[in-house]
Amino acid sequence: MSTAPTTVTLTIDGQTVTVPKGMTILEAAKTIGTKVPHYCYHPGLTSPAMCRLCLVEVEGAPKPQPSCVTTVADGQVVKTESDKALGNRRGVLEFYLVNHPLDCPICDMSGECDLQNYVHEEGREHGRGAEPKRVFGRDDFGGDVLFYGDRCVMCTRCVRFMSEVEKDERLTVVERGNRSVIDTFFEEGLEGTHWHGNIVDICPVGALVSKDFLHKARAWDLAHTPSVCASCSQGCNVDLHTRDNGVQRVKPRENLDVNGWWMCDHGRHDYEWMNRGDRIEAPLVRQADGSARAVAWKDALGALLARSRELEGRGVKAVVSPRASNEDLGALAELVGALGGGEIVYRSERAAEEIVLEGFPTLARRKDLAPNVKGAQLLGIHRVGSDDATGGLDAVRAHDGIVVVLGDALEDADERFGSSAALYVYIGTHAAEGAKSAHFVLPVTTHAEQEGTFTNHEGRVQRFWPALTPPGMARPAWLVLGALVAELSGEPVPRTAAEAFAALAEAVPAFGGLDYGTLGARGAVAQLPAAATRG
Amino acid sequence: MPISVKVIHRPEPESTSYLRAALSGMALTFRHMVNPVKVTQQYPEEQTELHPRWRGTHVMEQHADGRPKCVACGLCPTVCPANCIRLVGGEDDQGNRYPIVYEIDEFRCIFCGMCQEVCPVEAIHVGRHFENAEYTRARFVYDLDRLMEQDHPSTNLWDPSDPTGE
Repeated sequence: MSTAPTTVTLTIDGQTVTVPKGMTILEAAKTIGTKVPHYCYHPGLTSPAMCRLCLVEVEGAPKPQPSCVTTVADGQVVKTESDKALGNRRGVLEFYLVNHPLDCPICDMSGECDLQNYVHEEGREHGRGAEPKRVFGRDDFGGDVLFYGDRCVMCTRCVRFMSEVEKDERLTVVERGNRSVIDTFFEEGLEGTHWHGNIVDICPVGALVSKDFLHKARAWDLAHTPSVCASCSQGCNVDLHTRDNGVQRVKPRENLDVNGWWMCDHGRHDYEWMNRGDRIEAPLVRQADGSARAVAWKDALGALLARSRELEGRGVKAVVSPRASNEDLGALAELVGALGGGEIVYRSERAAEEIVLEGFPTLARRKDLAPNVKGAQLLGIHRVGSDDATGGLDAVRAHDGIVVVLGDALEDADERFGSSAALYVYIGTHAAEGAKSAHFVLPVTTHAEQEGTFTNHEGRVQRFWPALTPPGMARPAWLVLGALVAELSGEPVPRTAAEAFAALAEAVPAFGGLDYGTLGARGAVAQLPAAATRG
Repeated sequence: MPISVKVIHRPEPESTSYLRAALSGMALTFRHMVNPVKVTQQYPEEQTELHPRWRGTHVMEQHADGRPKCVACGLCPTVCPANCIRLVGGEDDQGNRYPIVYEIDEFRCIFCGMCQEVCPVEAIHVGRHFENAEYTRARFVYDLDRLMEQDHPSTNLWDPSDPTGE
């Protein structure tokens, strides 16, 4: 075993810093909050050191050193803000602007562009270039990506992402010198790849933009809310970018334990349903004449409690959607218990196979196309129906006791669904055909409108935060169900998602030991029973 | 400091004449009747000349083919302190960014002129105009067509020959 020290101590801008051996100067500077400007370097890719922007002065070195590939050494003295380093960056930035069109007003990247930021911070106040700029125009790269060649700074992050991470070389650099430009090999371009949205994220300028987001909103208008992607059970950490109470786009949020810096295109574009307008906005109670009447929460829950007390012991059959949070499902399980027990099933879509990101193999679009399938399983809820989330509800349809549906859109059900039940409660977000016979329709929020947790395929419990204002009287399902449970069992009503989670952690051994406060933005792994763990 | 009291001697009723004061007032009035210097402006027959920096209701400049000059960059709604501009950007059939919706609520506007100042393509201008009467409040939300129809002159917030004010 080697006795060589595993850390080195160096000085960056006068600050002494101790970092692991082998780290680059750029990463070491990050640990003390010094951000060295860079384009070609990305923590998830190899560093070609070709943008020449991260050059720093290292004492003793004859020339400025590219900090993204220069490893730290003991006693090294690095200056990132010296006249030499600053002058160097100013010069490099001026070269970048030789051919950059400066069409910031119409560029989608404006406001979050590294070239804009760096030039604003350190560049020259006025340009000196009088020569005409080269013009490439716009190119459709296929898929969701548009390429504006004039804006490109030739960092080749996109080329490296496709070759190193997606491992499907679709992009390359053609030509040389100032005529060099990113291009696709064949006509289909990026069409058919599943991860190409990431090259839009990692493009430091507005050269690669999303067609879906084109001209939709300005970067500075968007509010960012940390959330979890609800498109499969991988549980990619994402930021929901919202404006005017609508999700405008979804961007991956760094979490090396789950998704690194990436997310798939399916999840990225699966957000329109959060902005749908056909929501249930008030609790509806079926009247004696068959019509549904909107009433206050208090009246709806009061009537529901009175009716369910009459039917206690008749047995409950519940259908849930694994798009509901752990807290929602936990509260439903408690309610079913308080009503004398019964059976809870879930239905969810399953894809034929996983789509693995070759260069980051722990990330894949999983077969289960719902975010909380594992959470449902840990609560003892089992799966019914086929792979397109239909069927399997014959027992529920024929049940004559209490039927509760939470979140399932019942797309294959007709308006007669639940008509044989003595009490049919539909708890959902959007108006559904299968809810037309429900005695009670209770409006709840989507995961974008409430706080809570999902359990991903490996059992990692991850929090998400509310990004949108819920419509009308919609409330989180854990609150609605928690209030019912409280009335039936005499326990206090959970006032926050944290309290709902604490109740869940107490009741379900798998979640035991987890604390909502310490889950943070990275999540924590639940204690999986051996049988429930799958490869 | 002691409080000083001014004692006012009021004219005795019934024993004071106001004739002298009345006559001097009348004299002033009749003098103005024949005074050749005119002060009153006969609006609306006579229009006021507005200053070059007068900031009134907006004008959207347009290209020769009738398209608005606006590129929907979103800087004016961002800079607007009254939050009176609504903008939805999009792409036209030639691939140019343009405003699908561009609305200014002239009631909410405080006519600071910052939209004109910030505009990178000199599309939106405040105008030298103040006659804005309408029959309904809704008419004060000017949409893109209305802004392009405005034919009053736009404001010079700075001297074109000396834009930096040196």
